[in-house]
Amino acid sequence: MSKIQLQTLVQRVLRIPPSYLVFISLFLILWLTRPQMLNLNILGVFLRQVAPLGILVLGQLLVMRVKSIDLSGGGVILLVNYYISSGMFPGASLPAFIFLAVATGFIVGMFNGWMIAKRRVSAVIVTLAVSIILIGMVQFLSSGSPPGNVPTFLRDIYNTRTGVMPNPVIFWAFLTLIMSLFLSLSVYGRFVTSVGESAEAAHFSGVPVERTVIVAHTMAGVIAGIAGLVQTASIAVGSVRIGLDLPILAVAATILGGVAFGRGEGGVWGPFFGVLSFSLLFVVLTIYGVGEPGKLVVQGVIILLAAVFYGIRSKS
Amino acid sequence: MRKYIDILTRRNTRQGAWGFPLLVFLGICVWLSFNTARFATIENAENLIAQAMPLIIVAIGQMLVVLVGGLDLSVGAVISFTTAILSLDAPTIVLLPVVFVLAALVGLMNGLVVTRCNVHPIIATLAMQYMLLGATRLIRPVSGGEIPQLVLDSVSGEFFGIPFPVFWGIVVVLIAWKLLYRSRYGLHLFAIGGGMASGQTDAAHNFGIAVRRNIVLAYVGSACFATIAGIFLAGRITSGDPNVGLLFELDSITAVALGGTQLSGGVGSLQGTVIGALVLALMSNGMNLVNLSPFVQTVVKGGILLIVVGLQSRKKMGL
Repeated sequence: MSKIQLQTLVQRVLRIPPSYLVFISLFLILWLTRPQMLNLNILGVFLRQVAPLGILVLGQLLVMRVKSIDLSGGGVILLVNYYISSGMFPGASLPAFIFLAVATGFIVGMFNGWMIAKRRVSAVIVTLAVSIILIGMVQFLSSGSPPGNVPTFLRDIYNTRTGVMPNPVIFWAFLTLIMSLFLSLSVYGRFVTSVGESAEAAHFSGVPVERTVIVAHTMAGVIAGIAGLVQTASIAVGSVRIGLDLPILAVAATILGGVAFGRGEGGVWGPFFGVLSFSLLFVVLTIYGVGEPGKLVVQGVIILLAAVFYGIRSKS
Repeated sequence: MRKYIDILTRRNTRQGAWGFPLLVFLGICVWLSFNTARFATIENAENLIAQAMPLIIVAIGQMLVVLVGGLDLSVGAVISFTTAILSLDAPTIVLLPVVFVLAALVGLMNGLVVTRCNVHPIIATLAMQYMLLGATRLIRPVSGGEIPQLVLDSVSGEFFGIPFPVFWGIVVVLIAWKLLYRSRYGLHLFAIGGGMASGQTDAAHNFGIAVRRNIVLAYVGSACFATIAGIFLAGRITSGDPNVGLLFELDSITAVALGGTQLSGGVGSLQGTVIGALVLALMSNGMNLVNLSPFVQTVVKGGILLIVVGLQSRKKMGL
């Protein structure tokens, strides 16, 4: 092979999001060490656990593609959980809860977007501050102790299956498909790509940069609200602690999925496999008896390695 | 009138707007001493200084990184990590140097990843935060252990009626003052940050400043100041605690921003940062005195952070 051919080959390989490689290697490890784990029933249960994370990632990848970040998901999820479990709205039906969750996410996301795009405040700081304000509010309202129970119909929906796959997983895959089609087919998807490549160039080409960022954050907020619904259904009780580490995990999965931070590239399926990798990773770590601290370390290492991988690639 | 506003907000100066937070600080002091019986007592003042000291120390370190346009989210984890190491069963003469060496290594790694591997500071330090939190919980899953007697003595005594925490503050501020205003390094930090903020990232490089090395040193400095705060806190709580550093990264950023330091880099001052940290500590102290729920205090702090950072202007959008 000539040198040029080799170079393009190397570039091709480097363009593959790391999540695919991580997923394949984790899958192989599981297959070699615990083949009995790899049946669809068991995998379905594992996948169902990461469905809220997977949904949250859809919003995260959108904002990260316009060079922003959203860490407020934890607060939104907690607030949605509080609506449902505190008995604040007695006798409310499912559509009412969906409306509440979406409306909350919409308002929070819109505020984030406005602060980031119009006031030009650092996205990390805005969304972190919003998150701790929401968490503080929920903890104050519930006096620091877990609120009541979740209505049974949510739990029932969560437990349904189509074939062997649990419905939450199918819902997650369906949302991912919609997001993928939306970003590749709509004009807004083109706007997102161009703003991510270079906000300045996009501005001079007539792309409404600020509006694109605001819409991205608003959508991320709505998606966080939906993730909050799924998360609440999954644990089936009120809590003042759930979902707090989800935004960081979502950032990690998105980076792993090839959405390069601060550059506008990346797809939707890379992060999807990033979430799948995390799901398998937790299984593998549990099998090998790695505790909670070890998992934290592994998460940190993965974020770092994925970021370094992209950093070095973009420099060369 | 315009002139006085300009003097107060100190537009276009390298020091940043620290006049306004000073007024806020004095205002809160006056309000609290008139409205609560316990505020204007020697006891409360000692309490306040001891409460504010860790935040002042961390915020000074954080400012070094902010001046070059970065952010260090790992300071809270460094604090927890330090208390966990100090609570190990080993001679004091070994523990203290080890703590500093580890902190320097953490800072070095943060800095190298940011400058050499082209990773965004937030991501690099966030990853570091996770690794350190994990390591801390491996060493000390729940709070416990014994802190060396030397550390305990250094924070709780007094000298001619002046409590030891005051001396800690004086020493740390003097070191930082020397570093920022009486050394070539400080000048370089402002130069690098100024270039970053105006979008000409290679301006400082073109003047012959070793940009990368200075940025790495800023991260090392930040981690070292955080570890000093960790030693101080270990002495105060008398045990190793994996959660003691929680939210310190946010509080320190709030303090830095409150003190007029621009998060885009290049503008800021030592006195501003100290005042910013004092204002935050004073607000916690005041909210405790009027018996506000700790959860509401979190909300108030988050609100302050949003307002302070929202008032800063910058060109760049996003992160």
